[in-house]
Amino acid sequence: MKIRTLTKMALLTAAALILGYIDSLIPLVPTVPGIKLGLSNLVLLYAVFYMGPVETVVLMLLKVGLSSLLFGNAVGALYALAGGVLSTAAMLLLHRIPRVSVIPVSTAGGILHIVGQCAVGCLLISYRPVLFYAPWLLISGTATGLLLGIAARAAFFGIERYERRRGE
Amino acid sequence: MEQNKADGKRKLNWILTGAAIAFAALAIAVCLLLQPKTGASDRFVIRYGDGKTIAFSAWETRTVVIRDGELADRATGEGDENVIRIENGEAWMEQANCPHGECVKQGRLSEETVKKRPLGTWIVCAPHRVYIELAGDGQ
Repeated sequence: MKIRTLTKMALLTAAALILGYIDSLIPLVPTVPGIKLGLSNLVLLYAVFYMGPVETVVLMLLKVGLSSLLFGNAVGALYALAGGVLSTAAMLLLHRIPRVSVIPVSTAGGILHIVGQCAVGCLLISYRPVLFYAPWLLISGTATGLLLGIAARAAFFGIERYERRRGE
Repeated sequence: MEQNKADGKRKLNWILTGAAIAFAALAIAVCLLLQPKTGASDRFVIRYGDGKTIAFSAWETRTVVIRDGELADRATGEGDENVIRIENGEAWMEQANCPHGECVKQGRLSEETVKKRPLGTWIVCAPHRVYIELAGDGQ
């Protein structure tokens, strides 16, 4: 791995951890645990579009591992890992479609993240509480995925404009 | 030509976003259809540790302490601890030292509150794997 890529990965990991921490401080619906903005997904979206699949997967694993170590616990890590694996796989697959923009990629990522977490919930607890829990999480996952996609599109537009200017 | 390309791209992205939202809507519909109907409920079932279960009448007054996946005599604040209170047909998570304390914020569970609660008949502490269910009617 090149030094430049390694440095970029370190910076992105730090950004994902900080965004994840900020996320945990914003209670969207206090009575439904687990509903979050998913701000750190912005970093993964950047990796999907501007780095490679290997870098994206490594970044996702670092984000899940370190944030669970710093702010969570082992059970939380299982939920995050299942959600992370499924959403990253979906985002990488969708990104392979020519001319796809960040909005559908982010929306699918948000939804699949919830599906992964619900699957772990079914295995660890039972499917019955998940049936009550999942609709709330799916609504929030879709909405936040869509909003983050719109935010990422604006950010990527700025990044590309900056890169173009630097290249001139 | 450029305009056609841009239109095609926009259409593709609308279709993909719509498909993702439709998938989520379908999953929500399936969950809502499969949700068990709540009947008369008379007891609280607490699930903890590796598949352990303990049930109490909804009308007894009791404090249950679960620490590190085992029942404990009293709360100490050490380990992975949850303090559950059952009183007057209601159960709630009185204390928990889980990372964000979200189970404490889930409020009181009773026959009256079930329909207003997002999690229905459940109080869930996912990090500590402690779950309270309001059960009855042969559940």
